[in-house]
Parts: sequence; C-alpha cells; structure tokens
Amino acid sequence: MTTTVAPTAPSAAPAFVASGSGLSFAGLLRSEWIKLRTVRSTIWSYATVIVISLGLALLMSSTLDLQGSMQVTEPEQTSWMIQVSTFGIIFGQLVVAVLGVLSISGEYSTGMVRSSLTAAPRRLPVLAAKAIVLFVCTYIVGLISIVGSYLVATPTMAGKGISASLADPDLFLPLMSAALYLSLVAVFSLGLGTILRSSAGGIAAALGVILLLPTVLQLIPADWVADMMPYILSNAGTDSFVMSGTMEPWQNILIVLGWVAVSLAGAAVLLKRRDA
Amino acid sequence: MIQAQSLTKRYGSKTAVDSVDFTVQPGRVTGFLGPNGAGKSTTMRMIVGLDRPSHGSVTVNGKQYREHKAPLREVGVLLDAKAIHTGRSAYNHLLAMAATHSIPASRVKEVIELTGLESVARKRVGGFSLGMGQRLGIAAALLGDPATLILDEPVNGLDPEGVQWVRQLVRHLAGEGRTILLSSHLMSEMAVTADHLIVLGRGRVIADAPVAELIGAANRNTVRVRTPYAPELAALFQSPDVTVTQSEADLLEISGVAAAEIGNQAARAGIALHELTPISASLEEAYMALTQNDVEYRTGGSAGDPAAEHRAADLQESVR
Repeated sequence: MTTTVAPTAPSAAPAFVASGSGLSFAGLLRSEWIKLRTVRSTIWSYATVIVISLGLALLMSSTLDLQGSMQVTEPEQTSWMIQVSTFGIIFGQLVVAVLGVLSISGEYSTGMVRSSLTAAPRRLPVLAAKAIVLFVCTYIVGLISIVGSYLVATPTMAGKGISASLADPDLFLPLMSAALYLSLVAVFSLGLGTILRSSAGGIAAALGVILLLPTVLQLIPADWVADMMPYILSNAGTDSFVMSGTMEPWQNILIVLGWVAVSLAGAAVLLKRRDA
Repeated sequence: MIQAQSLTKRYGSKTAVDSVDFTVQPGRVTGFLGPNGAGKSTTMRMIVGLDRPSHGSVTVNGKQYREHKAPLREVGVLLDAKAIHTGRSAYNHLLAMAATHSIPASRVKEVIELTGLESVARKRVGGFSLGMGQRLGIAAALLGDPATLILDEPVNGLDPEGVQWVRQLVRHLAGEGRTILLSSHLMSEMAVTADHLIVLGRGRVIADAPVAELIGAANRNTVRVRTPYAPELAALFQSPDVTVTQSEADLLEISGVAAAEIGNQAARAGIALHELTPISASLEEAYMALTQNDVEYRTGGSAGDPAAEHRAADLQESVR
C-alpha cells in the first residue's frame, strides 16, 4: 500500500481472524427459501391461487352447458378440459404478480434489503436466488392448482360426456405450459418490483402490463396495434396453453421469456448500480 | 482493520463525506462521533458496500468488503434497527441471514441467548420495541462471529441495563483482538466505552485521537479561584499566555497557569484563597468545542460565542 501507514497502537490481543463457512449460492437459495416461506403474504397468495383455481374449475364444470350437442370430438374434449383446468390461472396470475413484487418491495420498504445486500455484497446472486426460488415455488403451486382443478372438474365433465387423460400429451403439455407461464409472471413481477423498489408502484406496474395493456391496445383501431397483440405478455402467456393464437406454444413461451428477460435485466443493472 | 482513503460521497451538489482518511485499529473500541448529518452513517454504509463512494476507497482487512469470501464473518454490521422485515419472526430473520453463509441454527440460538431475545424470538419483528429491534440488530451483527464489528448507534433505545450490556460486550470483543467501530451521540457513553475517537464534522475528520488525549486537549488548564482579593490576584497574572476572567466579585477563572503555581504566587503575595479548583473538561465539552463550527443543523440562529470558537480552533490544532 502506498498511503501513509497508520501508527501501530499496542493492542491487548493479536488481531482476531475470521474463520468458518463462507457465502455460497446454495446458501443464498436456502436463505431465499426461508425468507419466502416465513412471511404471511406468501402463504396467503399461494393459498388464494389454489383455492381460486379449484373453485373456478368446480364452478365452470358444473355450469357448463353444451346446448344439447350430443357428440363432442376428442380434440374439443381436450380443449374443454384445458380450459376448465387452467381457468383459475387467469386470476392466479394477478395474485402471483403481487407476490412477485412484494417478495422484493417488502425488503425495500422494511429496510431488510440492506441486511440482504450486506450478507451478499455482490448483489446479483441475491436477485438470481430470489428469482429461482420464486420460480420453483410458483411452478409447484401452479401445478397443484391446475392438476387439482383437473381432478375436481373431471367427474362433472365426464357426466357431460367430456373427458381427457392426463397422460395425453395434448392435455398434459398445455397444463405444464400454464404452470410455467404462472411462475414466469411471478419472476417478471419480481424484476418490476426491484426496478421500482415500491410495493404500490410495482403492483400497479405489474397489473398494468398484465391487465391494462391488452385492454388499452384493443381500443386502438390500427393494424399495427392488432399485429402487436400476440406479443403482449398476458396474451402470449394464455395463448401458450389455450391455443387460441396463431403461434406455436413454444413461440408463445419464448415471448413470455423475453418479457421476463427485459424485466430481470433492468432489475440487475439498477440493483448493481444504485445505493441500497 | 478498516482503512479509508480519501473516501468521498456526494449526493448531487451536497458532499456528505468529503475526502476522509482514517484507520480503525483492531483490539480497541473506536468511537465514531459527529453531529447529525456529519457523514457517520454514510461512511459506515460505504464500508460494507451499500453505498458506492464517489471517490476514494475503503477496505476491511486489506480488501474491499465485497471481495471477501465470507462477508458476514468478516464484518458484522448494525446499521439501523430498521434493516429487518417486519413480517418475519426474529428467529426466522436470523435463520435466513445465517443460511447465506451456511451458519448452523445452533449459532442462531446462541446469538438469541446472548442478546436476551429468547422470549420474543418467535414473535414477528413488527411488534418489537426500539430496544428489542436493537438487540435483534446486534444479534444479526454477531451471527458470523465477525472479526470486525460496525455498530451505528447501538445503544439508541436501550434501557440503562442494555446500555451497560453493550458497553461490556464491545469491550470484551475488542479484548479478543476484534476491530470495533461504534457510533453514538451519547458522549458520556463514549467516554467510558471507546479507547479512540474519530470525530466527523460536515463530512470531514476533525479529530482522530485517543479519548484521553481529546479530553486532555479540551482541558486547557483552567483553574477556578475564589478569593476576596480578586483584582489583586488577577493583577499577578498579566501575561499574554494567561487569560483571566472574572465571573463573580470573588470568583476568577484562570487559564494557562497550573493550580499549584497560582497557589504559590498567591501565598507569596499574601492573598488568601478560599477555593482553588482545576476544571477538567468532559468528553462532552471536548466534543462540543470540536464540532462547534461543523454542526450541520444548528438549533436557533445564533452563532457560537467567539471564545468557544477560538477554543475549538485551538483544540482542532492540538489534536491533529
């Protein structure tokens, strides 16, 4: 060191040397998992997603009226079963968007983020660990909701002559996509929450993108706006499992991943650059 | 050891920390003093990488904080009691912090016992009193058994018993050869806790000296003398090095001459003395004198009295 050497004060003991296990990414994952499961908002959000899904599946399957059509083709049956099983996801995405924002904005509003960032001062691993834990947990909750909805709706649907097997890839793959979309919405919102650092702002922005953006664009009578519609986050997401659009499911998922990538990249740059 | 080199932090046009250099040595308690807005907290945040310096650098044991492989084992930090999620229990907060460094749950229990939080460990932090929050913050700082401890206002909100506990704790930890940096507004507390003081004012280091030396420098050999023959006694000490002020008819304050010398001279002149008291300054006075010109948010509009400012200038000179 080229600077002035400090006067060496006589100290009572030799300088204490730190020892023991260090910071690791596995440790950060475990930490984020503990953080996620030990706040009430997580439990409430996930419980809400599951309850809404099962409730809506039950409601939709029991009120479904096929208006006397005797014979429903097999692809139509599968399509009905997909709709009934994933109906709750349309609402569930709003709940996990809020959860995704809160998982980081809650740290900013309480000051917890300063503790998190002193434990992992390189910062980006914190965001990565948060995103991974949120993704996995939301995916599992999504699967439980969707498969649960399928199971709840199956008896009533069978009574109306509609059935599809879970082993059928035409049913199974869209259901997996729906769970994937749900968890990606949570991660997308995590990015927004990190960028905005505020619960109110983050939730408003996330719900704005998911709900408001497609509605507002629909009101604009221009061709180029209509061309954009399939690229909107929530449109691409729902197209990936209800197959209402013109694109392949994997293309829809790629579009959703694009939204997530932009949100996380913005979050990463700002998290690294800003003072905490 | 913490070393800051021309450490600077600017927020827009305002300079919070202005090219600060200091070294915090291991094995002793270093107090970090300064009025509100002097830059203490900003400096502490820069040490642990929460704020990015605008210029200069600060290292902990030779490395920037973020370069350490086990940051929590290197530095334990209490920045403010509000760095904890209010919706989580104290135990779960510590568990989550510990998990990052694979610190076992047994250590979490240890720091909970050490800080006396057993009865509230399972309660949500949102309902904690200020003192409980401080104890939890200290528990989190101790989690990694760190070589360096940085505590921003640790006794804030603690009861007298807690204040004493913090004092004994940091003295004990310093005795083990750890580096302790402690900020406080309570000068009386610093006087009995710290070995060394770094005083900040308006973002600059205005003093960096052992506590005893700072108090000594503030003393300036003032002696209070009570005598019925005040004018006669005052006449004996007419010299440019000596100031004599008369506050009451029979009371003088004489600076620049030792008490024994005053007594001797009075005896020689046949002047009876009723009182002869050397006045020792408290750390509080030393601090006030030092920061007189560096208070960012001064109450009231009046400037300090000229004598005090003169004294402050002298004091700053003498401790540099």
